[in-house]
Amino acid sequence: MNAFISHAIEELSIRADAGEVRSASVWLETVCLKHGVPAALIGRLDFCIHEALANVIAHGGAVALSAPVCLHFDTHRNAGTGGVALTISDAGTAFDPLAARSKVRPQTLAGAEPGGLGLAMMRSNADELSYCNFEGRNRLTFIVRWSESARNK
Amino acid sequence: MTINFEDVNENFRRIAITGRIDILGTDAIATKFTALSATANRRVVVDLSAVSFLASIGIRALISNAKALQQRGGRMVLLVGDNAAVAKTLESTGIDTLLPMFTDAVEADKAALA
Repeated sequence: MNAFISHAIEELSIRADAGEVRSASVWLETVCLKHGVPAALIGRLDFCIHEALANVIAHGGAVALSAPVCLHFDTHRNAGTGGVALTISDAGTAFDPLAARSKVRPQTLAGAEPGGLGLAMMRSNADELSYCNFEGRNRLTFIVRWSESARNK
Repeated sequence: MTINFEDVNENFRRIAITGRIDILGTDAIATKFTALSATANRRVVVDLSAVSFLASIGIRALISNAKALQQRGGRMVLLVGDNAAVAKTLESTGIDTLLPMFTDAVEADKAALA
């Protein structure tokens, strides 16, 4: 017997600019609440979406800034478990964050250099990350999962 | 999004930031934050207890201002209070090992002045 209970998809298209990043966070919270995603996971997804969009704006190049960025929210719930796959696609410079080497953490404030924190934050907040470049667009997917038993504790 | 400060004396300043330190939030406070933490030999406590979201761009602002302050002979410490989300962000990125982080305001003041 299939224990499948629900599956939902939501989509948003935005411009690659700072104001739209905040709009994307508001949209994310709205769709997560609508589909029963636990609050703790909304915060983790918020980090992922913010850091991914910040990278597109800062490093995606002129094409990224002139073409829409698409957000695809896909959630499922079945007996006792749930998950969200959030995909961000952009037309910017191809960049695979999974292939990027993790930055060595500085030991002193004097040795600290900017950069690399966003990737670390995406990695620490997603249960799973995947990337592909398809038809000229970067597609970065964050997956987070939960169990109803953990949520109700 | 707000940034306010209190000068306890000429060498000791408390800076309180509230709201969402994302791209827009960091843009909104960056100039004032740098100016407030730029004085030589000053000890600074940055209160993040009312911050609702701390992105990497905000962490970079903390680091760059703390470095600049250190180079001028000063020191910056962070106060997070009971803000578990911000504390977790700072811990997961290892920033708490570079910038002392406290949950208690008195302890943060002591560390800044040590």
